[in-house]
Amino acid sequence: MNKEIAITAYKCKKCGKIHYPFHDRCLECKGREFEKMHPEGDATLLAYTVIFNLPWGFDQRFLILGVAEFENHVKAMGQIKADSVDQLKTGMKVKPSWEPIKKQYGEDVYGLKFEPME
Amino acid sequence: MRDVAIIGAGMIPFGRRDEDTLMEMLAYASLKALDDAGLGDKTVDAVYVANMGGGMLQHQSAIASSLVDRLSLLPAAAETIENGPASGASAIKNGLLAVASGYYDYVLVVGGEKMREVTGWRATDFVATMTHPQAEYPYGITLPGMAGMFTRLYMEKHGVTREQLLAVSLKNQEMGTLNPYAHVEMALDRGGIFDSPHSVVNNPVSADPLHLYDLCPVSDGAAAIVICPLEMAKKHNKTPIHIAGFGQATDTQTLQEREDPTDLKAVSLAAQKAFEMAKLKPSDIHVAELHDAFTILEIAESEHVGFFKKGEGGKAAAAGKTRLGGQIPINVSGGLKARGHPVGATGVAQMVDIVWQLRHELPKNRQVKNAQNGLTVNFGGFGNNVLAFVLKRVE
Repeated sequence: MNKEIAITAYKCKKCGKIHYPFHDRCLECKGREFEKMHPEGDATLLAYTVIFNLPWGFDQRFLILGVAEFENHVKAMGQIKADSVDQLKTGMKVKPSWEPIKKQYGEDVYGLKFEPME
Repeated sequence: MRDVAIIGAGMIPFGRRDEDTLMEMLAYASLKALDDAGLGDKTVDAVYVANMGGGMLQHQSAIASSLVDRLSLLPAAAETIENGPASGASAIKNGLLAVASGYYDYVLVVGGEKMREVTGWRATDFVATMTHPQAEYPYGITLPGMAGMFTRLYMEKHGVTREQLLAVSLKNQEMGTLNPYAHVEMALDRGGIFDSPHSVVNNPVSADPLHLYDLCPVSDGAAAIVICPLEMAKKHNKTPIHIAGFGQATDTQTLQEREDPTDLKAVSLAAQKAFEMAKLKPSDIHVAELHDAFTILEIAESEHVGFFKKGEGGKAAAAGKTRLGGQIPINVSGGLKARGHPVGATGVAQMVDIVWQLRHELPKNRQVKNAQNGLTVNFGGFGNNVLAFVLKRVE
């Protein structure tokens, strides 16, 4: 069963700017009231890389990471489900999911993953 | 506000310094700067220590308090400044403001970091703690990873090529061979890392599209300066170097929240402020130390501070305009790429290198002829906290 993407973004009630992660004051107009929103639909890949020198806690050879924008304009970072960056290009459609991204103390840590759709 | 000058500068060789503790490195660099200033047995009013990882890597806190005790600078005021990889420049700024305000006369600023005593895994993780704790860090993003994403976007928008990045690698590592303080004293061969079959092995992808030799090394090291009011500086032996301007600016922590992720706004703003305060323009600068933790950053910063138009920095690097003897020599020290990047030390080390340039103290093969004005840019996080300084030689 697909898990719901457990990310909350924040839309400024004064100017409409969408924030993720949370800010106490709007980056655009300094407003302090926000409407909570969740990422919706598929996403567009904005940036990506593959790293081979991983930080502590990642026991794998490499990690493909990217930033994508959802259909309702929430932007977020996630891991990318691909074998190589050769399968990726900026602006391509990706399918988001909420899956284990690493293990911590033997437990799965969940986060965003994107899978290329093209 | 009083004008402030640098009267002492010192550095210890960067690299892997297994034999020294963090405190020893800070002490050695401090003594070099104090001696260079000719302070003899005199003390200073305050000490600012730049360090990012003492708590995490050495399990040590209150580092400045420990250092003043070790150096017998008691009862000088002392504090540690932590501002990520911009800690060095932040410590200098705090010292500068304290002297400019008239509160202190003589201030020692020292930056140091000991990163090689932990595994690469741990060191990478330590630096990655600068990323957003919920939106970025859990995914495994690293600073090279951020730089990789930035590089691809910069290539797509401004036409930077891998060959232009290579020009920065080759230049800075060549200069590193001439710098006895550099971590990496090894010139690179174009064929070996770029256009031969061996390059795949010698220079593998590290954070695509960046390769191993696009990244600075992980280093141990320390550097220090002594500052005082410009009027008092004239009584000392060394040519005073006036800190004529500084600027600092911040930007969003995550790249995704920047309107244009290729626009390093904090670099532009910090440099503009520094130039305005110094009443100079980019074309008045004779030598610059830019924060080339990744080769792309030297190119992007050279554009954002105003040396070149957007899209021209890479071409300028490839054409040799940023080499010693070129239009604007950048990172004649070898930069972070070759001198190394002990994070807390870097901002101070950049300043020390420019002081040596403006005093005309360097050997001919590293000295920018008759340099009068210099610029430093210390880049924190991924461009979310940046400081720039303009320095002037005082005759």
